[in-house]
Amino acid sequence: MIRNKYVLYFFRIIVGGVFIWAGVLKIIDPLGFAQSIANYRLFPAWMAFFLALVIPWIELICGVLLILGLFPRTSALVLSLFLFAFIVLIWISILRGLDIDCGCFGSFSRRVDYTLILVDGILFGMSTILFLSSVRKKV
Amino acid sequence: MRIRKLLYETALILLASVLVGFSSHIPLIKRYFQGEFRHGFVSLEKFPSMVYITLPEAEELFQERSSIFIDSRTEDAYNEGHIVGAVNIPYEKFNEFFRDSIFPLEQTLVVYCDGTECKSSTAVAKLLYERGFRNIKIFFGGWAEWIAHNLPVSEGNDTK
Repeated sequence: MIRNKYVLYFFRIIVGGVFIWAGVLKIIDPLGFAQSIANYRLFPAWMAFFLALVIPWIELICGVLLILGLFPRTSALVLSLFLFAFIVLIWISILRGLDIDCGCFGSFSRRVDYTLILVDGILFGMSTILFLSSVRKKV
Repeated sequence: MRIRKLLYETALILLASVLVGFSSHIPLIKRYFQGEFRHGFVSLEKFPSMVYITLPEAEELFQERSSIFIDSRTEDAYNEGHIVGAVNIPYEKFNEFFRDSIFPLEQTLVVYCDGTECKSSTAVAKLLYERGFRNIKIFFGGWAEWIAHNLPVSEGNDTK
């Protein structure tokens, strides 16, 4: 397990920064994000609408908390769960042959493909390490 | 004890997100409960001229014959039956079916799919917008509402 505090701080900046950026871009265009959720064709329209209002704020709040070092275990855990869910969602979409934008970064979103899973996988690894390292620190 | 703290903090973050998310978008939520966004979510900032239309509006445009109807359903569904004169551009095969030269950019396009629960009409409308079309209308009642009112339909590909 990585213990180096500088490496962990670097991970916090990267993961937290990515989620702050992603959250802000979605907050300024909630309808665009709602449509991105709907495009996955897994959720009813009403659910896509309300998820689009809440998810960006979870991302933003957890990103800020992670960088500030407040609730570090919880924010890292929530972001790890998010990333895991994104990876599963993208994978399902690829298997279903959907040619859609991921909706991850508002209008800067890219098409759903395997490289996106790789990027999310790296972020998932970082946030999981952050979660586990903060658990160990408390022992 | 530690898990309880984790759950407590997670609940706190979720609650804060719900409160801030809902309170910062009260006008949008009001519009939702007034009946908007049940058929798709068009961001007016990104797609300012794209509008949803009802059956009477779609019928009027059909009667005027100045608009082109775009059927965003699958080829099979289209061949089984579609609005007379409609052009098939399935969302999944947009690039294959779309040809830049088909319509002039100022042409009014009316996009439809199965009905209120389908999403492909909005998705195709956005792709058309990205190609430069600005007079795009989405008929959200779609095929289901059109045939329920016994309006003119045809089978096969009547655009070839």
